[in-house]
Amino acid sequence: MSAVIDSGHAHDEQAHGPYGGIMRWVTTTNHKDIGTLYLWFSFTMFLVGGVLALAIRAELFRPGLQFWHPEFFNQLTTMHGLIMVFGAIMPAFVGFANWQVPMMIGAPDMAFARLNNWSFWMLPVAATLLVGSFFVPGGATAAGWTIYAPLSTQMGPGMDLAIFALHIMGASSIMGSINIITTILNMRAPGMTLIRMPLFVWTWLITAYLLIAVMPVLAGAITMLLTDRHFGTSFFNAAGGGDPVMFQHIFWFFGHPEVYIMILPGFGIISQVIPAFSRKPLFGYSSMVYATASIAVLSFIVWAHHMFTVGMPTAGILFFMYATVLIAVPTGVKVFNWLTTMWRGSMSFETPMLFAVGFIFVFTMGGFTGLILAIMPIDIQLQDTYYVVAHFHYVLVAGSLFSLFAGFYFWVPKWTGRMYDEKLGKWHFWLSMIFFNVTFFPMHFLGLAGMPRRIPDYALQFAGFNEIASIGAFGFGLSQILFLWIALKVTVLGQGERAGQRPWDGADTLEWTHLPSPAPYHSFHEQPVLG
Amino acid sequence: MAGEQTPKSASPLQLAKAVFWSFLGIRRRAAHESDVTQLKPAQVIIAGLVGAAIFVLSLVLLVKFIVSRAA
Repeated sequence: MSAVIDSGHAHDEQAHGPYGGIMRWVTTTNHKDIGTLYLWFSFTMFLVGGVLALAIRAELFRPGLQFWHPEFFNQLTTMHGLIMVFGAIMPAFVGFANWQVPMMIGAPDMAFARLNNWSFWMLPVAATLLVGSFFVPGGATAAGWTIYAPLSTQMGPGMDLAIFALHIMGASSIMGSINIITTILNMRAPGMTLIRMPLFVWTWLITAYLLIAVMPVLAGAITMLLTDRHFGTSFFNAAGGGDPVMFQHIFWFFGHPEVYIMILPGFGIISQVIPAFSRKPLFGYSSMVYATASIAVLSFIVWAHHMFTVGMPTAGILFFMYATVLIAVPTGVKVFNWLTTMWRGSMSFETPMLFAVGFIFVFTMGGFTGLILAIMPIDIQLQDTYYVVAHFHYVLVAGSLFSLFAGFYFWVPKWTGRMYDEKLGKWHFWLSMIFFNVTFFPMHFLGLAGMPRRIPDYALQFAGFNEIASIGAFGFGLSQILFLWIALKVTVLGQGERAGQRPWDGADTLEWTHLPSPAPYHSFHEQPVLG
Repeated sequence: MAGEQTPKSASPLQLAKAVFWSFLGIRRRAAHESDVTQLKPAQVIIAGLVGAAIFVLSLVLLVKFIVSRAA
């Protein structure tokens, strides 16, 4: 991705090239540089979170305790979740927004360039706090990524570091969202009306509003946690008149929209890739916009389906159950539109399309298990089992991560001016797809058989499927090393065929039709004129 | 904003229709285009919030009806 420097452009009267060396990255206000930083940061965190996942799967390969103390195992599951959600997936989508949103709407850069720099550089600080918390007395937080009280009020200083890290990441997300919204609403090229915006831009606009709405809720929850821990308040302490269940309500009022924050930009990427490789316009463009808005609104009224076993009046349970089932309607509309876009299209299956089709196939399975879990009587059985673990990995790995891979392979020719290695890309897809399913499909069976999540040891009858899952996990992890090599080759080493301005003939958004490959360091100095 | 044309104001019925279809996640392109030119963002947001409130209330009523029948 660093291959985007276009020194020729430095001679341009109105343009200047980047600083050389490390200062380029520290001081940059360029949306492409900051996008690159976000993407490398998130990939680094993805590898860190992945190593934690492999540590988990190594322990679970056999029943009994092999490698880790149970306390440390809990730290592994907690930190894996926190790092993947806040350090890997969310920043990766912001990286895509930084690179793509200005180019797709014909803007020269993001609206608040310095804020953009700050939004990014807060993240390594937060990541250091989070990962560093392993080394403080008592280790990292082990309360689960949901940091439920009262467990989280009793943890050691690792919990405080996690709270500060979440505060910083939340501030970064809010600033990033303000930037994205302002850019989209104010900096579109003349003629780029809202109804002509690419779906990726639409999904990010809606996601940014979601982020601004819910990140402060999380900040509130963890601030109350902090004051409960250190300043004598009793928000979540029943002995002091508080209520630990209130934490769960507040957390999930953030947490459920958060789920959609992690998938809506992915929907946007898939909605760019599928039409490009089907050589047809997206079917039901306006439906897609409306469905995204609908999902966003509904995401605020389903949070307590995460809490069916906590205790709630029957009327409350029924309400959240019905609302949750109804959210499948707009999601189903999206899947229908993608399939219909492909229908009778002139399709080809380069790596981005493989990941996009794989996304639809596997994400839909995750969606269906979500529907199953939404049915309260079933959820009572499956709460906190591996069925839930399987469900959300189908949504987050096969959903968010596969869409990120699709987006990377789709846009990297524009970013670097080089084509990635197609053969290795296809290997990456098939290995990821197969090992993903080997890892997570057996977890459905484990969950149905009653294996609880977040445990380092398990009863003997679960041994077989755990063995398969662990083998799959290591295969999946190694497949991502292949991705690292593919990414290094095309971005850092600059290997690969030269990419034309429009290497995908079906792609018709502004970055393909108006900008050369690689996109110049400063693009759209002059606003493009749209017919 | 890119839209320089002065939007015709939309009737409340058109607003309600747009919000209803958006909850379902389906909209005809022609209708969507007229929505975007004729509806103001503030109108849509307010109508969306009202729509969400109506949606929540109707679910609550449905639930209350079911629970009262069971008792």
